Amino acid sequence: MRILHKIHRTFKLHRIFIKQDLKKLMEYKIDFLTGAIGMLLTQAINIFFLSVIFARIPNLEGYSFEQIIFIYGFALLPKSIDHLFFDNLWAIGYFIIRKGDFDKYLTRPVSTLFAVTVEKFQVDAFGELFVGVLLLGYSVPKITLNISFLNVILFIISIIFATFIYTGVKLITSSIAFWTKRSGSIIYMFYMINEFAKYPTTIYNRALRAVITYIVPFAFTAFFPASYFITGGNPWYNIGGTVVMSVILMAVGIFVWNKGVSAYESAGS
Amino acid sequence: MIYVENLKKEFKKTIKEPGLKGSIKSFFKPKNEIITAVNDISFHVAKGEVLGFIGPNGAGKSTVIKMLTGILTPTSGRCEINGKIPYKNRKNYVKEIGVVFGQRTQLWWDLALRETYTVLKEIYEVDDESYKKRMAFLNEVLELEEFITSPVRTLSLGQRMRADIAASLLHSPKVLFLDEPTIGLDVVVKDNIRKAIKAINAEENTTVILTTHDLQDVENLCERIVMIDKGSKVFDGEISALKSKFGSSREMKFVPENPESVSALDYKKEFNLRDGDIAVEDDGYTYSVRFNSNKIGVEKLLNYTLSTIHVKDINVGDADIEEIIKGIYRSEVKLDA
Repeated sequence: MRILHKIHRTFKLHRIFIKQDLKKLMEYKIDFLTGAIGMLLTQAINIFFLSVIFARIPNLEGYSFEQIIFIYGFALLPKSIDHLFFDNLWAIGYFIIRKGDFDKYLTRPVSTLFAVTVEKFQVDAFGELFVGVLLLGYSVPKITLNISFLNVILFIISIIFATFIYTGVKLITSSIAFWTKRSGSIIYMFYMINEFAKYPTTIYNRALRAVITYIVPFAFTAFFPASYFITGGNPWYNIGGTVVMSVILMAVGIFVWNKGVSAYESAGS
Repeated sequence: MIYVENLKKEFKKTIKEPGLKGSIKSFFKPKNEIITAVNDISFHVAKGEVLGFIGPNGAGKSTVIKMLTGILTPTSGRCEINGKIPYKNRKNYVKEIGVVFGQRTQLWWDLALRETYTVLKEIYEVDDESYKKRMAFLNEVLELEEFITSPVRTLSLGQRMRADIAASLLHSPKVLFLDEPTIGLDVVVKDNIRKAIKAINAEENTTVILTTHDLQDVENLCERIVMIDKGSKVFDGEISALKSKFGSSREMKFVPENPESVSALDYKKEFNLRDGDIAVEDDGYTYSVRFNSNKIGVEKLLNYTLSTIHVKDINVGDADIEEIIKGIYRSEVKLDA
């Protein structure tokens, strides 16, 4: 009962803030549209270049254009979901700690991490989500996929855990701000590595591959799980790896966050 | 209720030499310095008491409040409130306290005030019936009705402060911490806020700890004050004790007919006084003479002044807590509390 009550409360709080952020979206229409159009343009240019490359070569490391689009679209789903729900971690790295605004989360009887993340619902992420779904919708009918009940479940699992790989990386890097007061650039540096994850890792050299597989494991947010759905091969590594990496990153992230909270020094007022 | 014993907080600060060169140097070879913000402070507060916590800027008031509210972990010493230690088991502890920082709002900038309270209701798990009752009471003392549908960002400072105080009280806390609740407010709003604090204290016997620079707040609301300076406690007691102990400091104000004639006055020489016993200040029009009434009687001072120069106006002020505290801040009055 206690746990049900907690879940109910979490959803209720989310609902209030989501409603709020959607309302804001209506209020700042131009801002939202500009952001969304810019995002769509960026993705469109990337896709355009991919199609230019594939016009010259029939396949890339054994992957067809449609398969690459599938991986690319897959990559956008966890990225946008993390963006939607956990965007406030950027603010932790950039100003919440430096300005002492973290004080208010500490005076509330809920977990600080929950209090920080619940209050922002980043509607900009809908653009990425939209493109991701579009690309999957385009590529799925054109490649041979084994669409079974099990695979649908595995797809949902891998999206959820891949999302927490993004969140975990942001959590660890933003927590550094508890000691350094500011860690925005560190979050940015690690976060941007996700750009490599949209393509088959086999196209990179070994060092880079090792980095995106084991150190900042963004390869598990897209290429590995997507390649399971494409080839049907090695589910333990491709999907299991996503789950394991996600759990490790979140555990480390929560540990560092809690250490950081007790080292928090506030700011003069 | 509240026990604070030998509380101490140190911060590590990196010393930077000026300029880019200094920044680069300190990046590679940081020099650290330990700053003691709060040094060995102890005091007790009884249930239902309103305690004024005062001291000049940078004295460490906010640091103490932040330790008592669980935001900062003390370097050493202990504090216990309602039998709980703030920085341990934080979530459980903060359910029983309310906190308002006058300098920054704790509310959500874009949320309408009504929704803000809905969020807090959920966070503090207040049931529907108590919530209704509580809102009615807070509405009455803080008059929230007129702006409850507006987003927090559109509120005036006075409205925002009332909204913040209401937010801190929604869950009927046993202890209320108010860090400068009247800062930047006009006289009328200040007065309303003081009335509200009194009403809240009376209604539920809520213990209130209040920091302020406005001594009117203290005289209006508190029976007892704790004064700190440079991180250490310098006074702890009733306001009346402060007055009778240090109330010998008084002030005479006069407006001379001819400002040049004032140079004829020399109180120190006439009454054979030391520097700390008398001080004269002027704004070019009004002259104020602060003096120690134990060393020199009011009558003598008045007689001498009036027989030496002609004045348009003269009055001798009562012992004013503000004057006493000014004296203590300037370290003119020696304390042995």
